[in-house]
Amino acid sequence: MRALQYAFDEALASLWRGRTSGLLSTATIAVALFVLGAFLVATSNLERLGAEWSRAAEMSVYIDDETTPEMRSAVEAMLAPGPLIVSFRFVTKLEALERFKQTFADLAAAAETVGDNPIPASYEVRLHTTPGSQDAVDELAARLRRSEGVVDVRYDRQWLDRLLAAVNVLQGVGLVLGAFLTVAAALTVANVVRLALYARRDEIDIMRLVGAPDAYIRGPFIMEGVLQGGMGAALALAALATVFLAIRGRYLMPLAAAVNLSSVRFLSLELCLVLLAGGMLVGCFGGLVASGGRDS
Amino acid sequence: MDSALSALRAILKALIETSKLSKLYSRGVHALRDLSLTIDKGEFLFLTGPSGAGKSTLLRLLLREELPSEGELKVAGRSLADLSYSQVQAYRRSVGFVFQDFRLIPRFTVFQNVSFVMRVLGVQAAVQQRKTFQVLKWVGLQHRMNSLPEELSGGEQQRIAIARALVNDPQLVLADEPTGNLDPDLSLEIMNLFREINASGTTVVVATHDRELIRRVGRRAITLDHGQIVEIV
Repeated sequence: MRALQYAFDEALASLWRGRTSGLLSTATIAVALFVLGAFLVATSNLERLGAEWSRAAEMSVYIDDETTPEMRSAVEAMLAPGPLIVSFRFVTKLEALERFKQTFADLAAAAETVGDNPIPASYEVRLHTTPGSQDAVDELAARLRRSEGVVDVRYDRQWLDRLLAAVNVLQGVGLVLGAFLTVAAALTVANVVRLALYARRDEIDIMRLVGAPDAYIRGPFIMEGVLQGGMGAALALAALATVFLAIRGRYLMPLAAAVNLSSVRFLSLELCLVLLAGGMLVGCFGGLVASGGRDS
Repeated sequence: MDSALSALRAILKALIETSKLSKLYSRGVHALRDLSLTIDKGEFLFLTGPSGAGKSTLLRLLLREELPSEGELKVAGRSLADLSYSQVQAYRRSVGFVFQDFRLIPRFTVFQNVSFVMRVLGVQAAVQQRKTFQVLKWVGLQHRMNSLPEELSGGEQQRIAIARALVNDPQLVLADEPTGNLDPDLSLEIMNLFREINASGTTVVVATHDRELIRRVGRRAITLDHGQIVEIV
């Protein structure tokens, strides 16, 4: 405990003495963790939104105005709930027009001028989101397209799959970039700690000659790295939160109709703690490398 | 029987024993060559000789900063070459050292320079303060405890270095040219401190080339030249 207190006191004093170079390594860690954190925020939110959109995945089956009740029965038979389909709902032409007017208020007047309601009736079909169901959904869509009275079939599964694949790529890029910057940050910390070590070489010589334990000789330098890492991580998280709130307010609020804003969140507390611990670990590694080697 | 007893007595009496001790540096320089000597517990010994005679090398070996190339060096019956890293640390806690250039830490006050040794050994703060004050009083510099080293004279700085060497109650004090930077009067003053340390039972080994000082102190002196003993007085 005394060694820990000594390491902490000496590390704080050393950080204050070498505050200019200490600032450099703290900033490097902050940049590395900011980049890593930014990718984590982006990908975790895209993943969450993707999962939400997947759960609400719908197929829209548009039908001709002239469709007979028999034709509709045949289509409804194909849409019966089963392994692929959760449920379906018929949307009349009038209902579809009202929705259009609500969603695109600016175009409502234009829709009135067309005269007859140009928007077709449709079936909104909710699909199961079981993995590997893609082929079966494609086949169902093809069968529906061939049915009499059906003018078009649209479903949003494909772009969702593409989005999720892009999220995976983004995650990979983030991890590689983050790892690269983290190594650079660790090396910067190691060099800054080495400078502190060089500045205090007389003290260290005396400590070695009086038989001071390693915890007292290396402890302050490792602690210095840990403190730099912790401060860098805290700085990164603060900057990340500021940028996140700014982007959310400025660019996402206008998209509230399409994006469920309550699902767009900052990093979880656990991830924040992991980033903080990660920063400290990087600093600790830098301190260990710099103060490494026994010289008896 | 008598010879066996006297041999046993000699072993118990000896603190430092070297046997055919050699130190060869990488460029083929023999700093010490087949050195065999015994230093008793509680002895005050001078090592003297010209520059490059091997005095500082022997002190470095005694501090276990370096290892012998050949031969054996035992302190309190244990070969220093056989010590593990943690044993070296423990051994060094029983040795005090004084250098020619004092090696005080400039940013520390006198008090901090002395208490630093105990601080990095994890000694309780109250004990640190008590012992530091005691030892500063003993070297007569308790009134300068808040000064920085640069504010002290050479003699005062060396007295602080001696206080630092003593604060941990070592069994052995090693001093490498401790009066090299001091005038003759101050040198004698410093030697008197070493004599007092020795009077309390601590073994003292002082390396110096100042023969006049050795004569005035009047203790056993071993003269080295080219790493070998050439004279014992």
